[in-house]
Amino acid sequence: MSHSRPRPPAYLPRRLFLAAAGTTLLAACGSSLTPGAKSAASPSASGPAATAIPTDKKITLVVADADDTTMTPALLAAFHAKHPNITFKRQYTGWDDYLKSINTTMSADTAPDIAQFVSGMNNLVKGRLLLDVGAYSTAYGWPDRFPGLDQITFTADGRTTGTGALYGVPGGLSFEGVYYNKAKVKKLGITVPPASIAELEAMFAKAKAAGETALVAGNLDGGLNHPFNVLLSVYMKPADRQAWAFGHKGAKITGAEAVAAAATLKRWMDKGYMTPKVNGVSDNDATAAFAKGTGVFRISGNWAAAAVAKGLGDNAGLFNAPPADKGGTLHTTGAGVYYCVSGNTKNAAAAAAFLEFCASAEAAPIIAESGFMAPDASSMPQQSGLIGDVGSGWQAIAKDSGLEPFIQNASTPTMPDTLTTQLQLLAGGKVGVEKFLANLQSNFDQYHA
Amino acid sequence: MALTTHHPPPVPPGPARNRTGRHAGARRRRRRRATALLYVLPALLPYTLFAVLPALHTAYLSLFDWDGVTLPSFTGFANYRKVFSDPQLRAAAWHAGALVLFFSALPIFIGLVSAAIAARRSGRRGTAAVRTLLFLPQVVPLVAVAIIWRWVYAEDGTLNQLLRAVGLGRFADSWLGSFTWSLPAVGLIGTWVVAGLCMVLFLSGTQRIDQEIYEAARMDGAGPVREFWSITVPLLRPEIAVALSITVIAALSSFDLIYITTGGGPGNSTVVPGILIYRLAFGGGQVGLASALAVVLTAVISIAVLVINRLAREAP
Repeated sequence: MSHSRPRPPAYLPRRLFLAAAGTTLLAACGSSLTPGAKSAASPSASGPAATAIPTDKKITLVVADADDTTMTPALLAAFHAKHPNITFKRQYTGWDDYLKSINTTMSADTAPDIAQFVSGMNNLVKGRLLLDVGAYSTAYGWPDRFPGLDQITFTADGRTTGTGALYGVPGGLSFEGVYYNKAKVKKLGITVPPASIAELEAMFAKAKAAGETALVAGNLDGGLNHPFNVLLSVYMKPADRQAWAFGHKGAKITGAEAVAAAATLKRWMDKGYMTPKVNGVSDNDATAAFAKGTGVFRISGNWAAAAVAKGLGDNAGLFNAPPADKGGTLHTTGAGVYYCVSGNTKNAAAAAAFLEFCASAEAAPIIAESGFMAPDASSMPQQSGLIGDVGSGWQAIAKDSGLEPFIQNASTPTMPDTLTTQLQLLAGGKVGVEKFLANLQSNFDQYHA
Repeated sequence: MALTTHHPPPVPPGPARNRTGRHAGARRRRRRRATALLYVLPALLPYTLFAVLPALHTAYLSLFDWDGVTLPSFTGFANYRKVFSDPQLRAAAWHAGALVLFFSALPIFIGLVSAAIAARRSGRRGTAAVRTLLFLPQVVPLVAVAIIWRWVYAEDGTLNQLLRAVGLGRFADSWLGSFTWSLPAVGLIGTWVVAGLCMVLFLSGTQRIDQEIYEAARMDGAGPVREFWSITVPLLRPEIAVALSITVIAALSSFDLIYITTGGGPGNSTVVPGILIYRLAFGGGQVGLASALAVVLTAVISIAVLVINRLAREAP
């Protein structure tokens, strides 16, 4: 009888069929699913560049950025006012999401013409998605007009910074300094600025003796990188310091100078100058606490100036990190808000004209108002109070060519996480100074092997 | 032989099968299946597009060495070998295991006890209010929860203020910054979030239990503890299985709570697989390795849930 035959297990073939269909589907769209396939179409490095800005046609430039200050929109508006035929469409993304999505954004067919360059985007260089703006740089004379251009030059594989082709320019620049509470410094009888690290340390000791937190810091998210970067800038030879931050083969951060920098930081912790239990405080909370009147000194960047000035008012001040020994040149750590051009843009000349605009005297006050340092430092308006301190601090750094890159920004893609982890271990007493540096070096060596 | 194989096929639900028209029956069955598919389609379509296909794509990516931009190179199972040999990953796996205690064991215990107490007090005033209060953490987004608890755990936060107020100031610590306490600290946030869900789940379960069973037990002289272990726990078995599945998934795949509170620190003391996947894919430019880790994590979670459901189905 026919119905006595065991029923075929109908579900099994169907499942098999689905699996087969899935595999076929994957194989069929293999080429489009294969990651990065599109980037093979490479934009060639530009030939001789024309600095003439097209005036005859309407041009729309799409700008992607993560700049949460007023700088980028104000610069775009000012440029448009000058060149009415060029309009901008700004695509702002929050800082955290920006880096997450920028790889796909820039490899899309609709890639923006101009994008803010942040550390971690080096793969775009290797993927040939960024325009080599070397020809524009020569035509406009950018090397004389923008400080810190080496921070945005890369080798073709994107792994090494500071050599190779130029991929953008900084709009505004940032740098780290030492904030201080004027009222407390006066009460303690301290005269700023210190002439050497030893003098700064003596000030910390005096503040501690008076029952104050000398150096306000937070390391829940790795905020100790600010004093550490500054100390590295102070102690290491600029060439060695840059070679390491820029990922040059064979560079070392384990030498005597780096040990001196890390040991100084450790000593500040051990002597009780720093916020206690620093691993449990976030960097932002540390700024907030300092702005509310906690502690005497705080090492951070000019991006914190607005918050500090708002909190401390006339009592807010800033001086540059002193040299290691009296009479040395000034060195500190800083970076910029860099703008780069897409390799797929159809309006390279207009985009390059915007980059050029960032170095202009017209852009300087716009940049200064947003709390950044303008590439053209001499055109920045004179300001009083803390912002005035920041401005004169920057001019002194620029005069000494003392701006060094953040070590975590360029050395390896995983360095930000590694540095945070290692600084927490150092602060928690889980590693010593030499082991701490060796662990950083090991991350470096793995990537640049 | 013929007799043993002579099983009539199971009678499908719905109208009786027409024995004279097999073909008509088959056609109707097919049509019914198509109708069923039509009902499922609105859910199936987005699920396939946004969950199944991306998951398959992740599995595909895990076979490549890819930085996220440039041409990848096919490396087969090299990423998987790396996943199983990485010491950092082993630490992450241990932490995830410890979180199971805080996200599953503890909340389920708390939920069971509070449900048992509520069952004994059923009908009295205030139960609904308590239930709402305990369920509240479920409603708040985890990111907000994490930010709130960062303040609670801070050096001058609520917890330390409380300790100092009752004279236990010497125990005050910076909880999230401590190598010893950060993992239990984030774990307890999980407990706080999940306990309410477990309790509500178990409460609805106890309402299913016949009150007469409790009454009979009480007549036999059973105390609250005996009642708890002999009636409430065994009879809530299905609810416990559901709670266990949900909370184990939450524990093993935890990311947002830890990302916001400690970011994996201090050192690596709260690193979990979710954090590593995020770091590798978006910070480290190792998309292939991150995908392999994600596939392994998915497999581990699926196995855990399968085991839980298998255990729950077995009769006590």
